[in-house]
Amino acid sequence: MLSPAKLDRRAVLKGLAGVTLALPLLEAMGKDVAEQQPRRFCAMYTANGMSLPNKKNGIDDWSWFPTKEGKEFEFGKSTEPLRPFREKLSFLSGMYHPNGPKADPHLCSDMWLTGAPLHNPKPGTFNAVALDQVVAQHTKQYCRQPSLVLSIDAGVGFLSRTGTISYNSEGKPIPAENNPRRVFDRLFRGDRSSLAQQREGLQRRIRLIDAVLESTRLLNKQLGQSDREKMDQYLTSLNEIESRLIASEKWIDVPLKKQDYSKLDLDVTTETDKPADYYRNMFDLIALAFDADITRSVAFMLNREDGMGISDTFPLKLGLGRTHHNLSHAEDKEGQLAFAKYDLFLSEQVAHFLGRLQEYKDLGGSVLDNTIVLFGSGASTTHNPTNLPTLIAGGANMGLRHGVHIRQANTPMSNAYLSILRSMKIEAASFADSTGVLHDSIFSAI
Amino acid sequence: MRKPHAPASPPPCNPASLSQQPAGDIRTMTSRKMVQSSGFLSLAVVLVSVLHLTAGIAHGQKTAVAPATPSEPKPAEEVEFPKVVQPLLKKYCVRCHNVDTMKSGVRVDHLTGAAEDRHLALWNGVLKQVTTESMPPENEPQPTASERKSLTNWIGRSLMVARSRPTPRNGAVRRLTVSQYRNTLRDLLGLQEDFTEVLPPDGLSKDGFTNHEQSLTLSPLQIEAYFDIAERALDAAIVDETKRPVIQNFRMELGSKINPEPCPDILILGALSELLNNADFLVRELKPGKPFDYDPLRMRTAYDFIEGYAGNDTVRGWKKFDSIYHSVFACVRGTPGYPKGQAQQVIPSGLLLRPAIPSPEIFGQSNTYGPMANFKISLRELPQEGNFRVTVEAARYDDALLLNPGEKIQEATAASATTADLSTSPDAMLSIDKAGLYQIDVHCAPGDSQGLFSLKLGERDFSGQLHESKSGDAKDAEQVAAFAIARLPAGELKLIAHFGNNSRLKRIVLSRVADDSEPGKRFLAFEKRSPLLGVHLGLRRDCGSTLAQAGDIQTVSAGELRDYVFEGAIRDFPSPDVEKDNVNYLAGIREIGVRSEYTDGRDMPRLLVRSIEFEGPYFASWPPASHRKIFIESPHRQEPATYASEVICSFASRAFRRPITAIEEKSHLAVWQKSIAKGRTSEQSIKDALLVVLTSPQFLFLIEKSSGPQAEELDPYELASKLSYFLWNTAPDERLLELAAKNKLHESLDPEIERMIRDPRFGQFTQEFASQWLSLDKFDVVAVDAGRYPKLTRDAKTQLRQEPVQFLRHLIERNLPLRNLVQADFVVANEVVASYYNLADRSESGMRFVPIKHENGSLGGVLTQAAILAGLSDGREANPTKRGAWLARKIIAEPPDDPPPNVPQLKDDDGSKLTLRQKLERHRNQEGCAKCHSGIDPWGIPFQKFEAGGLFKPDPMIDSRSTLPDGTEVAELTDLKAYLAEKRIDQVAFSFLKHTASYATGRSLSYNELAFLREQGVKLRANDYRLQDMLRFVIHSDLFLKK
Repeated sequence: MLSPAKLDRRAVLKGLAGVTLALPLLEAMGKDVAEQQPRRFCAMYTANGMSLPNKKNGIDDWSWFPTKEGKEFEFGKSTEPLRPFREKLSFLSGMYHPNGPKADPHLCSDMWLTGAPLHNPKPGTFNAVALDQVVAQHTKQYCRQPSLVLSIDAGVGFLSRTGTISYNSEGKPIPAENNPRRVFDRLFRGDRSSLAQQREGLQRRIRLIDAVLESTRLLNKQLGQSDREKMDQYLTSLNEIESRLIASEKWIDVPLKKQDYSKLDLDVTTETDKPADYYRNMFDLIALAFDADITRSVAFMLNREDGMGISDTFPLKLGLGRTHHNLSHAEDKEGQLAFAKYDLFLSEQVAHFLGRLQEYKDLGGSVLDNTIVLFGSGASTTHNPTNLPTLIAGGANMGLRHGVHIRQANTPMSNAYLSILRSMKIEAASFADSTGVLHDSIFSAI
Repeated sequence: MRKPHAPASPPPCNPASLSQQPAGDIRTMTSRKMVQSSGFLSLAVVLVSVLHLTAGIAHGQKTAVAPATPSEPKPAEEVEFPKVVQPLLKKYCVRCHNVDTMKSGVRVDHLTGAAEDRHLALWNGVLKQVTTESMPPENEPQPTASERKSLTNWIGRSLMVARSRPTPRNGAVRRLTVSQYRNTLRDLLGLQEDFTEVLPPDGLSKDGFTNHEQSLTLSPLQIEAYFDIAERALDAAIVDETKRPVIQNFRMELGSKINPEPCPDILILGALSELLNNADFLVRELKPGKPFDYDPLRMRTAYDFIEGYAGNDTVRGWKKFDSIYHSVFACVRGTPGYPKGQAQQVIPSGLLLRPAIPSPEIFGQSNTYGPMANFKISLRELPQEGNFRVTVEAARYDDALLLNPGEKIQEATAASATTADLSTSPDAMLSIDKAGLYQIDVHCAPGDSQGLFSLKLGERDFSGQLHESKSGDAKDAEQVAAFAIARLPAGELKLIAHFGNNSRLKRIVLSRVADDSEPGKRFLAFEKRSPLLGVHLGLRRDCGSTLAQAGDIQTVSAGELRDYVFEGAIRDFPSPDVEKDNVNYLAGIREIGVRSEYTDGRDMPRLLVRSIEFEGPYFASWPPASHRKIFIESPHRQEPATYASEVICSFASRAFRRPITAIEEKSHLAVWQKSIAKGRTSEQSIKDALLVVLTSPQFLFLIEKSSGPQAEELDPYELASKLSYFLWNTAPDERLLELAAKNKLHESLDPEIERMIRDPRFGQFTQEFASQWLSLDKFDVVAVDAGRYPKLTRDAKTQLRQEPVQFLRHLIERNLPLRNLVQADFVVANEVVASYYNLADRSESGMRFVPIKHENGSLGGVLTQAAILAGLSDGREANPTKRGAWLARKIIAEPPDDPPPNVPQLKDDDGSKLTLRQKLERHRNQEGCAKCHSGIDPWGIPFQKFEAGGLFKPDPMIDSRSTLPDGTEVAELTDLKAYLAEKRIDQVAFSFLKHTASYATGRSLSYNELAFLREQGVKLRANDYRLQDMLRFVIHSDLFLKK
């Protein structure tokens, strides 16, 4: 039933089990799974906007958006920690989701990665597919897990107070993980029984596809020449799925890359008094997951809108006096400065993350060079879903040319998302309400 | 870019150059080779034929070449080509029209003397251009008159030869479209749920249809989706027979003070929660009587929550709750500001609802709280899967018609009026002499408004605003308000009024109103109307709800309480997807909405809702029908292998739409055997085999097997499928398959066609065909300027979208003449659509679409339907090019070519103010543009007075005069409609036939087939081109019946 070529492939791969492999791991998976360049994506969301202080408070140097545009841009005080990565990152301003202002402002986090018309959802739907899931669909065949969805609150929250920024192809929220130990155990220490279950499930699928293949080949013999072409398309697709399933099965046997977990503190939770510890551990986990090619698509919600979730208390723990939501509404100098100092705190965490990604060596450079990192908020000032603060880093091997601040003129955010997809060589005609890609921007390979 | 390939002498045919050049060049080179050495003539002919065939397949086309064997002589035209025609082409045409320089997207360098089928349209085009002397362009060297003549002569003859060629066919393989797959799966498994959300939408063919064999592609993503869908569908259809189902059943009863033990807590469901008073509703969990054993679900009432709301603030801190009333809420949160009367009113006998006016759509201030009069049961638990049933106990209330501000007070005479003196007490006992209509006028002492006025007459309750006006000029003159008109019975009547603190009430006068008076007639029309009951299901949001309609809207005309049942599959509705242990009080709230549906705001009696009952998962039997359809009755149930074989064969035959072959039976049973060998149970292994059935090409594709290039008859099962996917967009039913099994389908075509048109499933055809033929998808996506066209709301759009579909269905079902398509003295509309066209006073059909006569020249036929005209605009202004292209393509089948690549931007604004007409002329008069646009714009300009909202606006400033391509002058659209209906009806008929035939066969039609339709179709003119005749004509033709 199976072609000789397939049998060989399976036998060959089985033989590699038990041997520790360093990169390039992927070559072991077979030519059709191996790839020249890994392409990864990581989206990080912060809620309630950034500090863009009123002029009258005289602390404009604390405004999040850089002063000046183009290559001459200058970091503000709240983004200073990102300076060492100047050539690896860019600021984008002036973008927004056209559906943002039409909907309840609290929906900006539900909408950040989807751009969906949440004020007027299609009957029966909730939201639309999120960018990280589109990426996951196309990268899942090259890694163990399609995606990793994280948040400071586990679960999904609820609509318009979402606890997750990731939505699947049916527009349903994907539950997020917030506990480092649980994430680690699931990704790095898959337990025996769940692996066995996984293997069984995959083998069953492969058996069924084999049966369909046989059925199709029989049918094909009876068809005329030009109709075989249609059936060929079907056969090709079936074969491709089978290869992917076989590859997935192989992942179960291929041991994980040897990595250094010593810096991880898996007991830090969101209840900690030191929010920095929590974020750093989560970022370390993401970097390790990328380095081991466990996944190529990550979404991490750093804060929730409107006072929801534990992260609302983080500024208090940092000595900034008010909750996150409260600070975002501040009009006075002290409040806006404190809010800006929280932005500074976040910049430090992001810088730590970029540093980690840069440390790990990868095909053609560092992991950072093969990863597009998206950091931003669904609002500029709180509840104001225009001029979305956006930072994009990494992806040098995907044609991203950094070191600039580009101001767009009211451009749909989805255009940036489409540009990201295309840079990752994902053939997409559009994403959400995109009108095209971003020209004259940081994306040079689209 | 390669160098132009138009040399005087052909390059040598060597392997190197062959491998570099595409197949097209090989053919050209080979045909030149033919010229050079007649000795190789026959061989070369064979080579040409073979290469044509393979090249054709590489392009995925059906190629028709006369089967040339070495001994057959070539047609004269083919011999003449290189001597007569080709030199002319090379001299005058190829320089601009070759593979590299395709001016206007046209190339002629690849044409051969064989006049292949796929080039016939191009040859026709060349003929036209040369005959009308449009080509070569004026500034280029011109052929002599005799050169033109030989060219056109040759083309004419070649076309005739081509037409007499038989069109060889191979079979067909078309995958099911998404909607076909959805319908087929639903009919096969007996499940209502729609599993196809994850499938990407189908692309459109050039004619706009999704079912075209060449635009139906297949990718791994789709196949994965088919596998996932099949798993989920089988999981939903098949149950564990050994387990008892768990069923949730509860009822909420509504009425003032109906709850003897109301919940003592103040209930808040988020900011502005608008809940009913705790005493006014009651929740009971029930145990429905079922013909099988089950476990009743008891909803959880004990919860610990950490986050909730107090007013607008998030509160944190653990709190325990334990009451059904913290799990099931009665909520009326919607858009405030009901314009006339109260949106909802709780009375002893239930909840009264006025029509749910949609929330206004003003961007920037859009209100997502939902419509006004928006009642919902908000609750924490609903089933996750299966069907559900909502039963609403409702009645049409014996209501009063509230009067509008400024209405006349009745003259009260002793004979005609009864007065209730309320100066000392707000209630009185009245004696009504004659039963009939009475106007209720309220007289008050002067003063400020006291809010809502309510009145109880006998057992009936009314309330509303009092629009007071002074009865005289004196300072202490009474203030009077004409409140309402009601029908009163004769006899004693208790009256209780309430108005603020009642201090201003003086008296209420009830005056007889004649049935034939103006207010009387208005009341009679009001009284005849029935509220429309709609049920919705979904979830609560902080900023409103996301709900979807469950089942169809039902008319509630009975005055006594009756049960109205609504059903659906729970997974088709929005659900909150929160984790089970979410600790937010407001998270995961589901909603069941009950409304009196809004049409156009006409006064109508209120809907009385007494109770709402929910049952889910809903099973009429256990195991459910979907399970028993698969696990059929059999004496061999205890013999695993035999039973498995029976089950699998029965299912596969139904799925493959024909009896399965012995080989198929064996291979599917092998799946079962392999699964058993791996330790799976027999049921699981059967599921595996069924999964393979549902992902096999025999299920996913429509297949017509062909044994050779000659035309053959479809086999009966192929015919059954072709027929049912045409007229029903789904798999054939038992009757069609029975006829196929007995091989009696071919002879029963006409009675079957008639049966199929009468069947409700015919609506699945009209929905698909009308939407795609008439390009209604444009209407779905156009962003209409809400400021300019406020009438075109979301709800109006939903109803207008149905109009063309309902119209076409009406025409076909009544077998009306085709001319109605372009010119009709009636529209098919419901109240919402009729209102949009200002025909509200002729429509009382609620949401049902019925024919309505009109005397309006700007209505009738598809050319004036809002859904079409609005789609063919940019949302702000009419667009004559879009409308012209649409008409040319869809209505008269003269599709303009695609615009050439690299159309440069025209400088629109050079300071001079141009009318749209002048702007268009400018566009058209560009070189290279005029040719196509002269066949587009003239058809579109007559539509100019129809705005982007789809309505006619008689504006003398707008010029809709147009000169059609054949020289006819039309001034208005009515002239164009008459022209099409009278002078060009054959063309319209041809377009209908062409589109229908293309849809029915799922492919493009060959040149010969189009000629057939054009020439033979005219015969239907004798009977006015009636639509059913047209459908029958297509079905009985070879292009449908043969493969």
